[in-house]
Amino acid sequence: MIDPDAELVRNAGAGDARAAEALVRRHLPKMVGVARRMLNDGAEAEDVAQEVFLRVWREAPRWKPGQAKFETWMHRVAINLCYDRLRRRREKTDPDAGVMVADPRPLASEEWLARQRAAKVNGALAALPERQRAAIALVHFDEMSNIAAAEILEISVEALESLLSRGRRALKAALADVAQDLMGGAEGAP
Amino acid sequence: MDRQRFAELLDAYGADFRRWPAGVRASASAFVAEDAEAATLVADAHELDLLLDAGRHEAPVSPDLTARILASAPRAQPPAFDRRAMFALAACAVFGVLLGYGGGLLAPIPSEDDTYFTMAFEAPMAFEDEG
Repeated sequence: MIDPDAELVRNAGAGDARAAEALVRRHLPKMVGVARRMLNDGAEAEDVAQEVFLRVWREAPRWKPGQAKFETWMHRVAINLCYDRLRRRREKTDPDAGVMVADPRPLASEEWLARQRAAKVNGALAALPERQRAAIALVHFDEMSNIAAAEILEISVEALESLLSRGRRALKAALADVAQDLMGGAEGAP
Repeated sequence: MDRQRFAELLDAYGADFRRWPAGVRASASAFVAEDAEAATLVADAHELDLLLDAGRHEAPVSPDLTARILASAPRAQPPAFDRRAMFALAACAVFGVLLGYGGGLLAPIPSEDDTYFTMAFEAPMAFEDEG
C-alpha cells in the first residue's frame, strides 16, 4: 500500500518547513471538521486539531509506512482525543459544553437559514451516541472508505455498518422538520 | 445482490454509491436500474444525505491556528557538513595541545655549559666581597 503522505511525513520530521506546511494544508481542515462534528464546539475542535499535529510532529521523525496510512492514524488520534474530551465533559457535566455560541453579526436571510440548518444538523449529530457520531463523521463527511473508518474506530466493517445505520435512522427522525424546510423551500428568515 | 442486502447497505452508506464498499458499487448500480422499488429507496436516502450536507456549513479554519501549528513543527538540524567541520576543528585543537605538551617533553635538557652564563652574573658580587 502506497501512503500518499509518506514522503511529506518523512521530510517534515527532518525539519523541512515546506513539507510541514503541505501536511497542515492537506489535513488540518479534516481534523478540525471531524473534531467539530464530534464535539459540536469550534474552539475545542481547534484545540484537538492542534494536539493532533503536536503528535504528528513527535511521531514524524520515526514514522515508518506500515499497515495503516498516515491519514488513518491521524483520524484515530483525533477521534480518541474527542472521546477523551467527551468523557471529561460527562464527568464535569458542564451545561455550556458543546453549545455553539450564536454569531451576533447580522446575516443575509439565506446565510441565516443555512446557519440555522447547519446548527440543527450538528445539534442532532451531537445528540447521537459518540460511536455512531464518529462513524457518520468519517464515512459521510470525510468520505473515508468503510475499511479505513472501521480501522480508525478499531471495529469490524459489520459493526461499522450497524453504527452507520442506527445513526442515520436516528438523524432522519431528529431532522424531520429540517427536511420539510429544506425540501419544501426556504421560508421564515428574519 | 438481493433487495435486503441493498437496503442494508443503503441504510448504512446512503444514496451516493461512492461511499459504498468498492466491491459492491457496480452491482448496486445494476440493481437500481432493474428494480423500481430500489430507486424509491435511493431517493429516500438521498434526502437524508442532503440534510446531512446542510451540516457542512461551518467556519473555515482560522489562520491563527495554522500559524500556531506550523510554529510547533520540527526544525531542521544543522547540516551534516557543519557537524563534520566542527569535529575536525575540535580534533585539530586537541592535536595542537598534545603536540605542544609532547614537544616540551622532548626538548633537550639544558647543558652544563650554561654555567658561564650564571657566573657572568655572579662575578661582580665576588669583587665586592674582596673589597
